Amino acid sequence: MTDVPASVAAEVAQRRGGAARRWRLAAWLIGRSFASMLGLVLVAGIVGLALLGPWIVPYPEHVIGQVNLGDKLKPPSMANWFGTDEVGNDILTRIIVGARLSLLVGVGITFAAAAIGVPLGILAGTAGGRLRETIMRFTDLFLSVPGLVLAIALVAALGPGIGNAMIALILVWWPGYVRLSESKALAIREEPYIEAARVSGASRFRILWRHVLPNAISPLIVKMSMDIGQAILAVASLGFIGLGAKPPTPEWGAMISIARGYLPDYWWYAVFPGLFIYLSVLGFNLLGDGLRDILDPRSHRT
Amino acid sequence: MLTYILRRIGLAGLMLFGLVCLTFVIANIAPSDPAALAAGPDAGRSQIENLRREYGLDRPLHEQFVRYVTDLVQLEFGRSVATGRAVGTDLARYFPATLELCLVAMAIGLLFGVPLGIVSALHKDGPIDHVTRIFAVSGVALPPFWFGLLLQLAFAAWLGWLPTSGRLSVFTEPMEPITGLLLVDSLLAGNGSLFLEAASYIALPALVLSFPCLAQILRVNRSEMVEALRADYIVAARAHGVRQRRIVVVHALKNAMLPTLAIIGLRWGWMMSSTVLVETVFDWPGTGLYAVSSAIAGDFKPVMGVTLIVGLNFMIANLIVDLLYGVLDPRLRSA
Amino acid sequence: MTNRVNRRHFLQGAAALGAAGTFAPFSSVAFERDGNRKILVFTGNQAVPVLDPHWRYDWSTRMIQQSVYDGLLKYVGTPPKIIPWLAEKYEMSPDGKTYTFTLVGNAKFHNGDPVDAEAVRYSFERALKMNAGVAWMLKAFLKPENIVAVDARTVKFTLDRPYAPFITYVPWWYIVNPKQVKANEVDGDLGKKWMTEHEAGSGPFKLRRFDATSLIHMDTVPDYWNGWPMGEKNRLSGFIYRIIRESAPRKAALQRREVDVMAGVTPDDFQQMEKVPGVKMVNFPGFTSFGIKFNCQVGPTADVNVRKAIAYAFDYDAVLAIHNGMAELMTSPFPTPITGHVAVPDMPRRDMAKAKEYLKKSKYPDGGFELEYVHVQGLEDPRRIGLSLLDALRQLDIKVNIVAQPWPTMTARAGKAETAPAMMSVYVTPVGTDPDTVAYQYHRNSWGLYYGVSHYENPAVWQLIADARGETDTAKRMAMYAEIQKALVADQPEIFCMMANRIWGMRDYVRDFAYSPVRSTSEIDPYPLWIEA
Repeated sequence: MTDVPASVAAEVAQRRGGAARRWRLAAWLIGRSFASMLGLVLVAGIVGLALLGPWIVPYPEHVIGQVNLGDKLKPPSMANWFGTDEVGNDILTRIIVGARLSLLVGVGITFAAAAIGVPLGILAGTAGGRLRETIMRFTDLFLSVPGLVLAIALVAALGPGIGNAMIALILVWWPGYVRLSESKALAIREEPYIEAARVSGASRFRILWRHVLPNAISPLIVKMSMDIGQAILAVASLGFIGLGAKPPTPEWGAMISIARGYLPDYWWYAVFPGLFIYLSVLGFNLLGDGLRDILDPRSHRT
Repeated sequence: MLTYILRRIGLAGLMLFGLVCLTFVIANIAPSDPAALAAGPDAGRSQIENLRREYGLDRPLHEQFVRYVTDLVQLEFGRSVATGRAVGTDLARYFPATLELCLVAMAIGLLFGVPLGIVSALHKDGPIDHVTRIFAVSGVALPPFWFGLLLQLAFAAWLGWLPTSGRLSVFTEPMEPITGLLLVDSLLAGNGSLFLEAASYIALPALVLSFPCLAQILRVNRSEMVEALRADYIVAARAHGVRQRRIVVVHALKNAMLPTLAIIGLRWGWMMSSTVLVETVFDWPGTGLYAVSSAIAGDFKPVMGVTLIVGLNFMIANLIVDLLYGVLDPRLRSA
Repeated sequence: MTNRVNRRHFLQGAAALGAAGTFAPFSSVAFERDGNRKILVFTGNQAVPVLDPHWRYDWSTRMIQQSVYDGLLKYVGTPPKIIPWLAEKYEMSPDGKTYTFTLVGNAKFHNGDPVDAEAVRYSFERALKMNAGVAWMLKAFLKPENIVAVDARTVKFTLDRPYAPFITYVPWWYIVNPKQVKANEVDGDLGKKWMTEHEAGSGPFKLRRFDATSLIHMDTVPDYWNGWPMGEKNRLSGFIYRIIRESAPRKAALQRREVDVMAGVTPDDFQQMEKVPGVKMVNFPGFTSFGIKFNCQVGPTADVNVRKAIAYAFDYDAVLAIHNGMAELMTSPFPTPITGHVAVPDMPRRDMAKAKEYLKKSKYPDGGFELEYVHVQGLEDPRRIGLSLLDALRQLDIKVNIVAQPWPTMTARAGKAETAPAMMSVYVTPVGTDPDTVAYQYHRNSWGLYYGVSHYENPAVWQLIADARGETDTAKRMAMYAEIQKALVADQPEIFCMMANRIWGMRDYVRDFAYSPVRSTSEIDPYPLWIEA
């Protein structure tokens, strides 16, 4: 999916070096691609909402579990841009505050999964032998498991709640990172400079730290950016099934789950939270896509 | 080659066992009392104990596990505590619906993914390309449950063109299953109206389910096409006029076939899993809906059964892809 | 599969071909016809996994069971009344231990066998032996060997000791044909496997098609032994129960006349649907009580003053608002239609001053603790009531943690006071009108069962409950229940909350819809229904 000039330019930039120059080039590349730009804007928007949320919402008291049954299920209006929900809370307010939760959960799951998967993968890739075999077979087991079904079963067993949803999703998410980092480690294991480092007596840890990790970092960033989006989506999916955040915590998927019972007459209740899920996942995916073009120009082909 | 195949199959079997262990653990971490579920809300203590014995829930866990595995070997999935029905029978009933949905979705993915990929490569960096790129990323970004609800609102509630949910109309007497796939069965029976009806019911859920897959197929075909267009001989051939374009397309399609096949294989298992959401939205009587409603009720035998069936699909699809690659790409055989 | 293409198929196919896939013809068909008789289509959300009347019951299951089977007696009307059915009369011995039923002479099973005393004896014995479903009602008082078929039309039940509620349970014990059951027995399973999807009954309907999770089609029995109340001319051809899980498509189906009666209407839908031409919405006072049960043994709620404080802080009006007014607040621990119900004068209503006063008397005068509120996963009303509880208790500085759990987890937690949540919301539908049905959930013997999750302790009340079940003098017995109701309100083992109205939507041509609160929420009696059009 790379544009020819982009990949060429990136290679050129890498060769010439110069951090400032590289950044400028990256910025230029992102700016040049409409899709990447859109991704950046969307992600910035979501992060902005997450940071400012509680201070900019019109009805801050509507997220702590107030009940205003007199105002329930009002259509969008000047007072409530996105209408009100089944207990009379402002939907816009709950969506904005929900952004923080979704973002935190998305980032949390992704980082936790990477924190488990990357060391395991590098270990497998550099160690080889029986250890690698064990790690990779275990990874394969989890990769061959239907992720969503497993997560649903887990949360159903543990009980609904955002914490359990995160645990379940981390559990089905880490193997991807093992695969990725293992292949990267494997690829450069035979490179002459690693041989050289090994011969010159560098410790295994040092080799890992100095050579393997930096090499894996670009595809890792790309994958993580995409995964944040997918994790947001996955948590929302669990919420939709009814296994997400506990009330009164505003969570997008859970909102749609409840809203579904009020379709089609009270359509706004389901439409707006979903729009925000879509936009934030889209943002992270476009950004990841754009980052791939810049950071990892050669690996774009699946 | 044979040893490679045997090895892969052996590994798949090992993993299946791993999956059985995993589902068993999950089903037993809940502090729940399945016997009480089986007995119903009004039951007294003696009734609950009676059922606990009947379901073997009074046995120690390792014994229950052994029994579960021996039953599985005989293709017995156990009984649902909530309904008392055999999970195997239920699965046999629901699986064809899920299979049909996934097959149709896959077909939609191919039907639209390939041409859209070619078109966007031919208009690289143009507005069409940007639109298809966002469209492609949307494929994985659109929450399927929300997309489904939107389509229901638009096509069922507002326009009234298509039915909201389900697999057939309330009144339609479903035919005795031949393959279990309604679209196929109705054609085999020569029942055109039943076919049209089934098609109208499957359209929306299949569309939603196909979207991520469509997006991926689109991207692969686009990049193969871009690659083909860039090749030297093509550049040279361009001088010969528009007719050559057709050659380019054919060439790119050939190249794109293998990765497209791989995507079909990988996406197949994924589809079987994510159909859970689509089936929930569209009330589609398949394994996904079965799993969700059982999980919500705290009835784990059906959930375990569905996980195994879906896991099996994952593994078989992966195996086929691996073997295909093994055949087509001999370098992998030694790996 | 018959390849008979009926009018509907034809219309649909033609329209789909002609009008670019427009499925408007769905709406042109009012109700299914079979010859010149009509089929009534009913829709609800719940499957009928097991048809066996001695194996399980819930609203959807029992609706079908009572259509294909008959009981000795039957509940009808509101307030619920027990009328003779397979038994034309019964007598109780003066000591309250022996009941003698005389059967009608003309009842026949669907295969032509007569419904005789032996069939009755066998059915009760089978239910007791299976020890599932309805067995709990009589298990402790009736031994299989004490049921005797005296002659072809006389059955005698001898109870171990007097049990006043006996008659109120009998209508739910359906009579099966022993010959058919025995013929289909496998490994001494009492025909359980076969009875899951087949019937061996004498009821007004015969099973035509049974698909547990999507559709159940029953035909009317033309020469039903008890006749048809609407007359032979108006008798339906059959009754279809169509399972549609989600409310939106259910609503749409009713609006498009694809179904004739719909269950599971939410109060929020009610007003919307009322405006649809041709649709009639009905709502009746309910019988299912919703309560929030406190843990009376462990944690802050072990303190009666804390329980009282919460009961006074609770926003009862919010509950009514959630149901758009279609609910009735409890005026006693017993639902109104229960025999012996009295309105207890000092039932708590929202009064923050009183709430604070009670809290001051407790060990936690300023609140500052958190309580768990558990409800059944996926149920919408208890979740919203939880939210209103959370809102209400904020003023006492009590935090509420709303937790949704699957039913078996809840029952497992109810098992011990140590694991029981501080507050658990439960719906209780009494299976009969006898006060014992409701009162017994507060007895020591109910500890650990879901309705005994409170682990309520008051030996004086326990004694009263135990004595009242054996009391044969009705006046004395009712006085005891009045006392029990007052004592329960004083001890406040739960917030006695409300009874939601039962709501159905139906087409305006549906006739003789007969409501009886003693049925479960959503459950209807298909027998008297017919269509006038």
